[in-house]
Amino acid sequence: MSLFSSDHKAVARRYLWSGLGFLLLGGVLALLIRWQWALPGQPVPGLAWALPESHGALTPPSYTAVFTMHGLIMIFFAVTPLLFGALGHFVLPLAIGARGLAFPRLSALGYQVYAVGGVLVLASFGVRLGPASAGWTAYPPLSTPAFTPGLGQTLVTVAVLCAAASAFLYGLNFVVTVVRCRAPGMTWGRLPLTVWGLFFASVLNVLFVPVLAAATALLLMDRLLGTQFFIAGAAAVGGGGDPVVYQHLFWLFGHPEVYILILPAWGMVGDFVAFFSRRPAHGYRLTAGAMGAVTALSGLVYAHHLFTSGMSPLLGRAFMVLTLIISLPAQVMFLNWLMTLWRGSVRLTSPMLAALGTMVVFGLGGITGLALGAVATDVPLHGTLWVVGHFHLTMGAASFLAVFAGLYFWFPKMYGRAMHEGLAKAHVLSSAVLFLGVFGGQLAAGYAGQLRRLYDPYQYTYLKHLLALNQWTTVFAFLLGAVQVLFVVNLVWTLRRGRAAEQNPWEVGTLEWTSALSPPPEGNFATVPVVLRGPHALSQPEVLERLGRDWIGQAEPLPEPASSEADDALGSVSTVGGAT
Amino acid sequence: MSPLPSGAEDTAALREVGAALPGNGGAGLHGAPEVGAALPDETPSPGRGDTLPDGAARPESGLVPPGSAPTVAAGLTPDAPRDAWTLALPEDASTHGHRIDALLGWSHRFDAVLVAIALGWLVFAVWRFRGARRVASDGGTRRSRAWVLGLALGAFVVVDGTLLLGSHAYLRDVLWNFHVPAEDPRTVRIEVNAHQWSWEARYAGEDGRFGTPDDVVTWNDLRVPVGVPVWVQLVSTDVVHGFSLPHFRVKLDAIPGRVNQTWFQAAREGTWEVACYQHCGTSHYKMRGLLHVMSPESYAAWLHEAGRQAVQAHDENDSAARWGWEWKAP
Ligand SMILES: [Cu+2]
Repeated sequence: MSLFSSDHKAVARRYLWSGLGFLLLGGVLALLIRWQWALPGQPVPGLAWALPESHGALTPPSYTAVFTMHGLIMIFFAVTPLLFGALGHFVLPLAIGARGLAFPRLSALGYQVYAVGGVLVLASFGVRLGPASAGWTAYPPLSTPAFTPGLGQTLVTVAVLCAAASAFLYGLNFVVTVVRCRAPGMTWGRLPLTVWGLFFASVLNVLFVPVLAAATALLLMDRLLGTQFFIAGAAAVGGGGDPVVYQHLFWLFGHPEVYILILPAWGMVGDFVAFFSRRPAHGYRLTAGAMGAVTALSGLVYAHHLFTSGMSPLLGRAFMVLTLIISLPAQVMFLNWLMTLWRGSVRLTSPMLAALGTMVVFGLGGITGLALGAVATDVPLHGTLWVVGHFHLTMGAASFLAVFAGLYFWFPKMYGRAMHEGLAKAHVLSSAVLFLGVFGGQLAAGYAGQLRRLYDPYQYTYLKHLLALNQWTTVFAFLLGAVQVLFVVNLVWTLRRGRAAEQNPWEVGTLEWTSALSPPPEGNFATVPVVLRGPHALSQPEVLERLGRDWIGQAEPLPEPASSEADDALGSVSTVGGAT
Repeated sequence: MSPLPSGAEDTAALREVGAALPGNGGAGLHGAPEVGAALPDETPSPGRGDTLPDGAARPESGLVPPGSAPTVAAGLTPDAPRDAWTLALPEDASTHGHRIDALLGWSHRFDAVLVAIALGWLVFAVWRFRGARRVASDGGTRRSRAWVLGLALGAFVVVDGTLLLGSHAYLRDVLWNFHVPAEDPRTVRIEVNAHQWSWEARYAGEDGRFGTPDDVVTWNDLRVPVGVPVWVQLVSTDVVHGFSLPHFRVKLDAIPGRVNQTWFQAAREGTWEVACYQHCGTSHYKMRGLLHVMSPESYAAWLHEAGRQAVQAHDENDSAARWGWEWKAP
């Protein structure tokens, strides 16, 4: 694969490696934050080269840069690119039986724009006055040059704009691809749930990423051109700009972004739970419909981030009702997953373990968000680590585990080699448990009142007693970082000397496994498959009877009963290459 | 444990007026003996003294009249450090916070039940059906799908409904009900101006009007009498700050260009902390103030003396010192 190939699988691999790199960087930054809360002001071993004046200890300015860059890198340069850029680009065309994305050169361009953004982010670490430090939300006026003069903030603002542009491009590409490029017979009711999740999330990308781009572009003009879009104050003196407008724009993107990150994860969980319970997804239409309902509501709930901004009580009431309503479809979906497990034949493979882990952390994250959706209970918890723990469970832990569920699931298809199941299981299981330790510790500290983003929380008397809790949370965080070695070892080992993967190791029927080679060539399919059934045709009695196995490809004709013995010999391999 | 007010001395010294007065013998102020570490932990578990908020059966404001407000002897510091593993909300020192706490308590009980059911179901299903031989080959029956919808709707109505109604009752009675401080003649009005990185507070003085020479200005040092409504109007000079009184369940953004307002009522005397919860720059973590809740008598004495000193120090030409505004009625 050349570096400039616009084949969707090549683009996916580029996103995969960049995303993993940024995941590592963002994770290291997270550990620095945790270090500071466990041992405030103590030198970090090995950091003296970066912070010589403090002998490697985080100073308040370096700490603000660290938490700003952690949030920003994780959202815009690690998790989103891994979910959409890597898994989305790779799976989406294959799973709908398309030869590629609708606009292949656009997807290659999208990666290049993202890469430029990534370079700018890295460059911001090297400029005078350091990288961005106004928080990942970059609320003005703090993010304007008057209060954050450094070049780093400007570079990072441009980088976010680049990430937004690339997200818009692949969002548009995915939407058009799903609408226009499905294989014959691939009706909307036969899409894998992963594709549903990616599709809805792409719709959100197309709708709301431009809002982020607008807010960021206006902020950039305030920084570079001397405009005053977000500098006070329209409300007080009837002229100039208003910082609150930025907050509305930012969260009008920022809240849908939560669903942009979690919808693909939901889709994968829905598929994997069905695949590895060996039965069709319970309430497939309900689940897809619930994802659609969440998508439709996602932009209508954003202002619960502004409950304490002093906005009108009428708005507060409306957004409270809408926010609480969004928990209904989420519950429908969750119950459907549980019902799929029930009376299935559960196989605890590594993708399944990761999917179950996603269910658990997402469930906990969702439930801890309820109290943030109602105005009165939001007030004591607003701005505390409770919020941090809540969204790290949903956007962090759940998305992370879903990325790895997808990676372990599709890796044999991406590289034609099988990863080590034992290492993979140990990795996802220990990650899930440690995520609960880390973010559970944050929830507890936040409940006790610890505010987020404090360089030294123990300046406050009422937070002093939380030191021990924070230290334990930090221990879990470092363990979490350490167990990622299991993944790295597995990856390096598999790519170097992993055994060739079987054609359909998970014994499922979706098109990428049953109609394409591993790894698929450019153009994906020898002949375009004709889809005959849904994605979860598992344990069907007539399939068992006629083929002797509990799965059948989405495009694989079921032989007539009379000729069943002859067709038994044709395994999965015969269907590969579009034997339809 | 270090005495509580020590952290405030640097900024409080800037413009602080009337630190310790002859009138109150220093009790409850900076010179107060700090015995907070010995104070038993009074934190109620969420839900103390209140069942599900019903709103309707309550007096209009849901507040306790000053005479019956529970008080702690002056000089104690209720926000003393706790045991390492005390993981409750910060102690509630307000007359209304228990309603939020009760609601949160209910929400957590529901959460615990939902988690137990879902997690139990998941673990049991995985254990019971691991590698099972007989597998349902359908995506659910009409009945099983109806069960899913019914269960989701039931949980939604109970859990979200409780939160919605309880929250709404609190908003109506307290958070958005500015009739209470507006109509109570005892109400204390404070104008707070947030800076990087300190809280500047302005009191109207004894004449009750802002913008007159007897305006009292303090830094990182809020003083309020116990048991009366305290009405705060809030601005910011530079960036967005977050004004929070964790022990009074108060949180509100201070945003340049607009005046936000909130109100609360202290249930007992003591000293609590004021914190900034919006990231406002490098020293955000040091944006700490103190809130002294005083007896009505010592508050009046302090205000009298501080106003007298303010009049003495008043400089007609120092316009920057007169940043206050005419009180804005809602
Ligand atoms: Cu602040």
